[in-house]
Amino acid sequence: MSRAWPFRFSLFLSLPVSLAITGCQSSTAPNTDGLKIGAYSVVREVLHDGVLPAFKAKWKAKTGRDVAFEESYNASGAQARSISSGFDADVAVLSHSGDMELLVKAGKVKPDWNAGEYKGILTNSLVVIGHREGNPKSIHDWSDLAKSGVGVLYPDPKTSGGARWNINAIYGAALLEARDKNKEAPNLAPVREIMAAIQANVVNMDQSGRQSMANFSERKTGDAVVTYENELLLRAKEGDAIPYVVPPATLLIESPVAVVDESTAKHGNKELVAAFIEFLYSTEGQTIFAEYGFRPVNKEAAAAISARPAPARLFTTADLGGWAKLEEELYSTKGLWTTIAAERAQNRGK
Amino acid sequence: MAIGARTLQRHRPSQGLTLRATSLFYLGVMVVLPMLAMTIQAVQPGPRAFWEAISEPYAWHALKLTFVTALIMVAVNVVTGTATAWVLVRYQFPGRSLVNALIDLPFAVPTVVTGVMLVAFYGPSSVVGAVIGKAGWKIIYDQPGIILALLFVTYPFVIRSVQPVLIELDRAEEEAAATLGARPWTTFVRVTLPTLWPSILTGAGLSFSRALGEFGSVVMVAGNQPLLTKTAPIYVFGEIESGNRSGALAVSAVLLASSLLILVGLNALQRRGGVHDGN
Repeated sequence: MSRAWPFRFSLFLSLPVSLAITGCQSSTAPNTDGLKIGAYSVVREVLHDGVLPAFKAKWKAKTGRDVAFEESYNASGAQARSISSGFDADVAVLSHSGDMELLVKAGKVKPDWNAGEYKGILTNSLVVIGHREGNPKSIHDWSDLAKSGVGVLYPDPKTSGGARWNINAIYGAALLEARDKNKEAPNLAPVREIMAAIQANVVNMDQSGRQSMANFSERKTGDAVVTYENELLLRAKEGDAIPYVVPPATLLIESPVAVVDESTAKHGNKELVAAFIEFLYSTEGQTIFAEYGFRPVNKEAAAAISARPAPARLFTTADLGGWAKLEEELYSTKGLWTTIAAERAQNRGK
Repeated sequence: MAIGARTLQRHRPSQGLTLRATSLFYLGVMVVLPMLAMTIQAVQPGPRAFWEAISEPYAWHALKLTFVTALIMVAVNVVTGTATAWVLVRYQFPGRSLVNALIDLPFAVPTVVTGVMLVAFYGPSSVVGAVIGKAGWKIIYDQPGIILALLFVTYPFVIRSVQPVLIELDRAEEEAAATLGARPWTTFVRVTLPTLWPSILTGAGLSFSRALGEFGSVVMVAGNQPLLTKTAPIYVFGEIESGNRSGALAVSAVLLASSLLILVGLNALQRRGGVHDGN
């Protein structure tokens, strides 16, 4: 076990305590405005340590008032469910637009949430492959994950909606290649083949991306971990650098933010929330996201990531037909990924 | 809801009634109603849909895996648990009371921590894991890991149900058998075991029931691959997360019904006598 484990563990233990403390602060204290955030787990560090303090200072300078944040972090799907069933977050920060659509369905978020300049997307990132020091298994592309003797880690797409980014990236790269060969009727056999070969190399499917990372770095499980670039860079920032490669063709991760109007009406903090959203998209806000490993959506903050590798070919969920279509094609009971897992079990002769 | 702290007197039956009504109400609200609510929701789509949800290959395999691993665990537990109880009761050795205190430790350890511990010790990156890997076996992230986790979390059950019976056992019969020339093993099988078996069954039933719902430790060590190492509780969690509520409810209902059946069976066993109350 690495030395970071107890520290992380204590952080984990102290979280409920800190949440309880922040939860106890009354947002109606004199000279204080309250703001509730419901976010997915991955943005905990960047918001709590980076963006929120910076915005607090800005708001203080502008209005002379304090901001009392109430933050809730949870797996993206669970967070979406909790907001749609009544958790009164003013701002929802989620892993993917599929979860945001849940909030639209529940009438919590306006249907035109993605109409603005940035299409409702707050951060970008890439699906990348983390590998061991010195790249002993010489991993550079998705096909290398299908080689025999390579142990692969990615989270279970059934339990982690965010984890679907990883498998969508593998699927998308193979699909685009098939389309290049034959635009009219792409041959899907090789797509299925590479996904099955990689799945056969999967050592363990953890419940979340975070757990997969911990498993890879602290327990030294596997040879490669499929994950998001921002997660690896955040770990590097915390002193646990994992070398990684950006595959030649990979998926652009687009994580959305939206205002929950019902909650802001209830709390009467429309002005504050608007200022907060504006700050999130500002060059300053986006630069903070970049410092924590994300890729900014605001071009003016792009200087912050000039040193990072650029993939030869970057595709988006829209290029693959959108979240809803991917959910159906890959993860439904008859979906491609679901049936691949079945095949694999049969191959083991069980 | 507060019941007077005065002692309840026999000639005031109304107070006794309040107490009885309150505790039954508590049982209802805490245990029975949630069970009923889930069961009703699970069977609501009708028997056919329920059966389809259960016989769906992923659900079916998850249930099968759960029951088979639990059965294997029980078989091991019955032997090792009885042997451990025997050693603790019949032998004197230094540190016996310490061992006795340690038996319950697996109940005190959070199950997720159990999983982390098992991965740390048996995992692919550990010394033990490496040795096992050389032999071509895989424990962690495979089916043996599930059994290992179940063995850990159910360790005390059989021991703790057999121990008190052994302590109270009248040894006159054993001694008589020995005097008549029976070997120790024969004495154990023919004389001691018939007295012990109800308590062994109780421990086995309880550990089986507990294993059906084990999530925390298994999710860390199993690998969670559908149709290979995904047990029913993990399947339920996954289906809830990915929006297949009906499938999750159906499998939950099967787990719940199995646990209830085991409990009813154990109760019947105890009514027939022969089982001493454990601690």
